[in-house]
Amino acid sequence: MPKKIGAALLSAVIPGLGQFYNRQWLKGLVFLLVGSAGIYFIVYDLTGYLRGLITLGEFPSRMVKVGKLTRMVEGDHSIFMMIDGLIALLALLFYTAFHVLNIRDAFLVGAARDGRWTIHSFGESLRHMGRRNFAYLVLAIPFVAVVFLTILPLIFSVFLAFTNYADPILPPAHLVDWVGFGNFKKMISLDVWSSTFGGVLTWTLIWAVIATVTTYIGGVLIAVLIHQPRVRCKKLWRTLLIVPFAIPNMISLLVMRNMFNNQFGPINSYLRAVGLDGVAWLTDPFWAKVTVILANMWIGIPVTMILAFGVLTTIPRDMYEAAEVDGAGAFYKFRMVTLPMVLFATAPILIMQFAGNINSFNVIYLMTNGEPVNPNYQYAGHTDLLVTWLYKLALNQSQYSFASVIGIVIFLMVATFSIWSYRRTRSYKEEDMIA
Amino acid sequence: MKKSKRSKMQAVSFTLALSLLLALTVTACGSGNGNSTAQPNSSPNSAVNEPGGTTNETNPAEEELKPEAGAKLMVWEAKEQVEYMKQLAADFEKEYGVPVTVEELSGGDQGARLATDGPSKIAADVLTLPHDQIGQAVTAGLLLPNDVFEEETRSTMVETAIQASTYDGILYGYPKSVETYALFYNKDLISEAPKTWDDVVAFANTYNKPKENKFAIMWEFVGYYSYPFIGSFGGYIYGDNNTNAKDIGLNNEGTVKGFTFLQSLKGILPLNAGDITYDVKTQLFQEGKLAMNIDGPWSIAAFKDHVNLGVVPLPKGPDGQDSVSFSGVKSYYVNSYTAYPIAGRLFAHFASSKENQLKNFEMTGAIPASIEAGEAPQIKDDPIISGFFEQFQHSVPMPSISEIKSVWEPLKAAFVSLWNDPGLDVKKTLDQTVTTIQADLESK
Repeated sequence: MPKKIGAALLSAVIPGLGQFYNRQWLKGLVFLLVGSAGIYFIVYDLTGYLRGLITLGEFPSRMVKVGKLTRMVEGDHSIFMMIDGLIALLALLFYTAFHVLNIRDAFLVGAARDGRWTIHSFGESLRHMGRRNFAYLVLAIPFVAVVFLTILPLIFSVFLAFTNYADPILPPAHLVDWVGFGNFKKMISLDVWSSTFGGVLTWTLIWAVIATVTTYIGGVLIAVLIHQPRVRCKKLWRTLLIVPFAIPNMISLLVMRNMFNNQFGPINSYLRAVGLDGVAWLTDPFWAKVTVILANMWIGIPVTMILAFGVLTTIPRDMYEAAEVDGAGAFYKFRMVTLPMVLFATAPILIMQFAGNINSFNVIYLMTNGEPVNPNYQYAGHTDLLVTWLYKLALNQSQYSFASVIGIVIFLMVATFSIWSYRRTRSYKEEDMIA
Repeated sequence: MKKSKRSKMQAVSFTLALSLLLALTVTACGSGNGNSTAQPNSSPNSAVNEPGGTTNETNPAEEELKPEAGAKLMVWEAKEQVEYMKQLAADFEKEYGVPVTVEELSGGDQGARLATDGPSKIAADVLTLPHDQIGQAVTAGLLLPNDVFEEETRSTMVETAIQASTYDGILYGYPKSVETYALFYNKDLISEAPKTWDDVVAFANTYNKPKENKFAIMWEFVGYYSYPFIGSFGGYIYGDNNTNAKDIGLNNEGTVKGFTFLQSLKGILPLNAGDITYDVKTQLFQEGKLAMNIDGPWSIAAFKDHVNLGVVPLPKGPDGQDSVSFSGVKSYYVNSYTAYPIAGRLFAHFASSKENQLKNFEMTGAIPASIEAGEAPQIKDDPIISGFFEQFQHSVPMPSISEIKSVWEPLKAAFVSLWNDPGLDVKKTLDQTVTTIQADLESK
């Protein structure tokens, strides 16, 4: 049997053995120590937590009465167990990765011995590590942080969608159970849920498209307008138009909420002063939607405008001169030179904005809070987006599992759309604009 | 060539293994937090007296309940009452030798924070909850019953407050203060407070000028403030004093009658329901354009300096019946995860005593829940507070069962749509509302 197979097999049984077999004593010792510590923890600690992740607890907490005094007997808290189990699961994955790497190392060194090549001494290995593989070492710590601070909460919230964690099943007095795809089925098959879901989803998509298009076009147009050579005081206009972006949108939205009040808001007062009737800005389902779009334009246009300014200054002058020589007017110059350049540079941002608008929580929550109410909806109003509906479900109604289902849907939507369209942009394909 | 590639591969895998080692040391600390889940605290079928069952009278420690040795307490309190609570904490320490720290946390957030912080053992030992939040807290097993002082609480507090602090027949709370809304009126605009809705309509016909934003009366179209149009007419939300979710009374004859009467008032308040927000009516009332405002004691401070203020019970209905309002009761509760359950009980009991409720009234204006405190001269002779107190006699506590969550949104939708569109069929709309509520109850 060649040495590489032998070493790999030995290391597979107990980490470090293969390294000993390869006469790498120190390395073998390090692997042996880490491996045995890992296996010890798996046997004595992690298995309990992993079982908890599967059962989600066996005994809820309860009250016991002794004489007159009621005492609480602490039981299992399903949600805490789920998190502990997840941590254990990730630790197990880490250990598995370590184990595989130790086998691979034994195999490679064994193969080197089979081929009669020189073997690194421990010191050499360490030096090598510090030099060539420094990046791995430095990245290990942030990688762990990302796994436990970002990925773990994500997995946790996805897991919630497959449980029955919703009022009245609230730990610690109740145990939460896995219900598989039950919540998804409810979402589709129960009329109240499916009609609300369909309606809110439709409006969310309409909103995302309109909100993105209006702010984008508005921003680019204003930027081009100010960029015209004939416009004086460019800096002043720029500054003025940045102001809406500079004011925290929480403040401006709450102010607008009062401005758009149908009866007492200044906007309708002005309209009445010039003899018009005024519009039911926030109380009519259709106009409320128009109002949030308008408010969003106010907040969103400056962002695109700044971006467009940056692109406009990079367009080489000689292209315009060439266009003029060819006899292009102002409109043609805009269509054939300015617009393609701006679009090419900002396309990825456009997608980012679209994805962001799907989840534009602030505008809806602060401006209308999803109102006007829709009696046919389940806890949602006419202007609620999926994300604000999710918020209401989780925070006002304690329907955590349903909220999590919606969260997954939002994630799938945003992710698929973003990836698909990003890959179709020219900047992704790294094509040159001016070939 | 091959050789260098080999050694490079070795080095890479060794490095990766070592980085993982780093990672493992971190995770080992992360997941090993001691309490193994393999051992439940006690077998599930040990004999247990269910709380609420008969109590053994053999309790030696009943007369002299002493706080645990080394006990120290932490209390959550909303901003406006922190000052009062700090004094109370000092008094308590003088009497029992138990130090109490006060942490500021707004009233509406305490229930949600308890749900997460309670089991993590970092929540307050004693907290204040509005009674409509206790359903969820009890369901999750986060509150200790008021067991030791039960009889005393029952005999000293207003019946409504007891009812509101009770869940599933078990008393949990130590009542602190009560509140309901009543009719604020501006004495400069309307000399004599209206007794009935007919008086209100008669006044409105002479006073209303929508062009100048002058209106006789306003209230918010949400389930809480508009409940008189249900409760005064024989309608109800849930049956058996709002405890039986199987029986929804929101489309019965009484409620239909109430909503029909509500629609008849559109003439004196020709506005969309969505335009009447708390901010709008507060401002109009302060400016002296709105003559009457249905609001609660929490707004007294906002009006006191602006308006020649009077408070009377809500106008009587068309058949001369008293208007039934919703009341809220705030009580102290003891966190079931507290390390010092006895000290916690003692503090909650101490804080809800008659003297301390009166002190709270003097410092913050909170209306006492204690019967004796309610008869004290400073309450009886206060022209504003007495109006609320009178309305409180005709109030029902807001439902506290957790099923109430399914009601607010659909009910608000019913109020808004029936008010905005007087052409809508009342019965049909209410049937739809009840269907929505039922569907939601079934989906849980």
